[in-house]
Amino acid sequence: MTNGIPFSDALGNYTPQRFREPSNDPTKTRDLLEQFHPDYMPDSMTTLKVGPNQGDVCHKQLADVLQSDARIEEADLAGANTVETDILVVGGGGAGCAAALTAARKGAKVILATKLRLGDSNTVMAEGGIQSSVEKGDTPQMHYDDTVKGGHHYVDKPLAAQMVMDGPDVIRWLIQQGMQFDVDKYGDLLTRRAGGTSAPRVVYYRDYTGLEMMRVLREALTNAGIEVWDYNPTVELLSNDQGHCAGAVVSSLKNCSYTLVKAKAVILATGGIGRMHLNGFPTSNHFGATGDGLVMAYRMGAKLRDLDSFQYHPSGLAYPQHLAGTLITEGVRSAGAYLLNGHGDRFVDELGPRDHVAAAILRECEEGRGVQANETTSGVWLDTPGVELRNPGILKSRFPKLLQLGRKCGTDPAQEPLLIYPTLHYQNGGVVIDGNGCSTVRGLYCIGEVCGGIHGKNRLMGNSLLDIISFGRRAGEHAATEVLGRPHSNVSTEHLSELRRQLTLADMPMENQGPMLFPDYAKFETDSDYDGLHKAK
Amino acid sequence: MDNLNQVLLNESQRVGADFKAWKAVADSEGLQLALLEEPENLIEIIRQAGLRGLGGSGFPTYKKWQYMAAQEDATEKYLIVNGNEDEPGTFKDRILLEETPHQVIEGACICALACGINRIIFYINPEQKASLENMRAAVAQWEESELYFSLSKKTGQPVEFEVMATSGHYIGGEETAAIESVEGNFPFPRGKPPFPAESGVHGHPTLINNTETIANVGHIIKHGATWYQDQGLGEATGTKIYCLSGDVLKPGAYELPMGTPLADLIFDHGGGMLVGKQLKAVFTGGPSNTILTPMDLDVPLDFDSVAARRSALGTGAMIVVSEGTGIVKRVTEYVNFFADSSCGQCPPCKTGTYYISRLLSKIDTGRGSQADLDSLYSLCEMLPGTGRCHLLDGAVKVLESSLYHFKEEYEEAIMPATRFGMENFGGTD
Repeated sequence: MTNGIPFSDALGNYTPQRFREPSNDPTKTRDLLEQFHPDYMPDSMTTLKVGPNQGDVCHKQLADVLQSDARIEEADLAGANTVETDILVVGGGGAGCAAALTAARKGAKVILATKLRLGDSNTVMAEGGIQSSVEKGDTPQMHYDDTVKGGHHYVDKPLAAQMVMDGPDVIRWLIQQGMQFDVDKYGDLLTRRAGGTSAPRVVYYRDYTGLEMMRVLREALTNAGIEVWDYNPTVELLSNDQGHCAGAVVSSLKNCSYTLVKAKAVILATGGIGRMHLNGFPTSNHFGATGDGLVMAYRMGAKLRDLDSFQYHPSGLAYPQHLAGTLITEGVRSAGAYLLNGHGDRFVDELGPRDHVAAAILRECEEGRGVQANETTSGVWLDTPGVELRNPGILKSRFPKLLQLGRKCGTDPAQEPLLIYPTLHYQNGGVVIDGNGCSTVRGLYCIGEVCGGIHGKNRLMGNSLLDIISFGRRAGEHAATEVLGRPHSNVSTEHLSELRRQLTLADMPMENQGPMLFPDYAKFETDSDYDGLHKAK
Repeated sequence: MDNLNQVLLNESQRVGADFKAWKAVADSEGLQLALLEEPENLIEIIRQAGLRGLGGSGFPTYKKWQYMAAQEDATEKYLIVNGNEDEPGTFKDRILLEETPHQVIEGACICALACGINRIIFYINPEQKASLENMRAAVAQWEESELYFSLSKKTGQPVEFEVMATSGHYIGGEETAAIESVEGNFPFPRGKPPFPAESGVHGHPTLINNTETIANVGHIIKHGATWYQDQGLGEATGTKIYCLSGDVLKPGAYELPMGTPLADLIFDHGGGMLVGKQLKAVFTGGPSNTILTPMDLDVPLDFDSVAARRSALGTGAMIVVSEGTGIVKRVTEYVNFFADSSCGQCPPCKTGTYYISRLLSKIDTGRGSQADLDSLYSLCEMLPGTGRCHLLDGAVKVLESSLYHFKEEYEEAIMPATRFGMENFGGTD
């Protein structure tokens, strides 16, 4: 893509304006998606050959990992220490914390193992806010309708209905935990509008809602006496003789050793797949978002869904290069920022569903109306100076994180527009769950981004922070009531033998090992002599 | 592989709970023939056929039956068809009860005829929901059928069926524990004597046979004793359902002639080892039994031949483990299973299994010493036979067998310095 308008020319063409004509682009969403959205490129898809989703369409890069060989052999576990707990929570983001907290308060012994540190997650990057129908004139029904429509009617309806009904209570619970929200002078929650919704519904705190949520959850977790194991990626689940999930193998990066955790229930809250860089896209995700949970759950026999559907957030920073992929909140667009192509024209309804807007940006770039920053980088303008012009001071009061990002780029968003390009943001599909977060494998719960169905094939802004708390609390509570008084069962890696059998019988290559744990550029192979992270032995 | 699934797991038998379908393809000739025979003759046929207890004991079935039939004064006689299988690696009764319920019921009816039994209890592990459901559906259809009326007519008193979910405890599969369970109590095994055939459920004579044993009965009556003998290889009689699991390519239940060599089971039927793996050992008969090594690949899998190799056929479960699998860890898991399953009424079992399990965990995690290993050896001598039932013996057997075959692994495990390749780590300054 080198056919765009050169950066300096485009910047020269640009002046902040109070008002610009809206786009009258008549292209239907369906056509736009089919032509430009990465999910609709048939070359990038394949069908799965082994496992519970055999025959289903899946993204090639994801399929390679889902059908990879396991990292561990039974021999690796000889001499491994064994620890027993009621519930093991895998993942230290918002969902994992909410589940751990609820379960511990119900009286269960909880261990939370996280790949990096507590809070190293996408939750802290969630900027926009939480959707919840708390405004007068808004209803859970409208929230539900928006969610289903936004998800192109692929939404698991009972899950979505339960989530929107949980909404106001989730906010109440968060406030009880001590979370701050932006409020008006009467103390009422302020709301803003998310793309693809029918009412202002997103409650928020500045533009770092997720960070504030994580601050509160972390404190609560510490106070609840939950054992937190950081730098302890989970590399595999363990099964019992009934094929139920009975624990996990955790690899300690500090001690360079494996630990077997026997747990009566395992709650996977491992997040998404951004760092797989599907189709070569940059990502807004944190360093650990490598789809580990999907792979582990799939091997245990859990059914997955919508493995061909991912969300590309329209406004990822495109330039400068070293910050490519960094997210700029949809809140900026909901505050009135336009998207402008190299000619300075609006080309899409900025508050349309995310996939529509992202596809429109890709179209502009592909058809030569984008801004060309260098040979490989193009994008479109996010008209931040225009917002500042219409509401002086708004960037400083509402979007401090954006200004901080501007400082890192060496520009002032109030003076100069930011160059943006879609960034791999969210995995819409994932593990099939029920209302309590139970997967199809007994003893295995999945919550947060790792599970699918809640958002169909496209997620609305603010619904993710809602789903992690809503389902996190439910899973924690359900798991705690299920496990209390139940004995531990024996653990084995029989499901890995089953995986190897299936791979052999299907004539699949066994060179690749999964889960990924870290992106390739982490270079653990050369930096570390720790066997547990080696890909090839 | 034309000798695979010839009798019990034959496609014609696997029709589920549908009585009509079963009668259409598998018919009920065995029972119809049995209705025409005198009870003693039935027992004689079973004796000639050489049917043995397929739940693991290998005890001649006719002996139990004779004893039951001899209890002529009894007002009630019970048959418990034992389907409480719960051992890791064993899954044959589940298949029989779920896919061929009528074959099992037919066998039980013939047994009732032969021994004068009037109450038949199908005793099924509640974890196996499909087995329970299909058996309930199948029994309901039998109770409506003509066969059922002819049966009651012949025995002279109504025969009652009951499908019962067990408490789900492993120990509930033990004979006398099953009796306690049927009486509505916690499955604590009883002391013997009196033997169940004399005084079982509520003091009435009670016969307990494994599901697989009972399932064979109809076929034996239908085809005759010689036919059954011919099904086996060499001296062995009949067929056996082997439950193959572990590091093989195609695990599953395979019904093969009794006496099929281990190598045939693993390599012909099981598709061989998982890619790139070498056979290290086979845990036979589920963990309550012992270990076979690659030296024993030629062993015919029947009760006597396997026993001749210091092992036991048991339930027919074969858990294959490959090089790289820690034997100590495996044995630890199995002993933990026994420690968890011990009902706790006999002190040697309650504390013995717990103590072995603790010592093993200690050794397995590299914290063990020579003294711990010595303790294991002396426990192996002290413990067997000290409990009411065989649970404790089972735990000791697997430990003893692993100590015999894989002594060096235990010894390596108590020397962590060499295990981690740190021989020169000893210096203190």
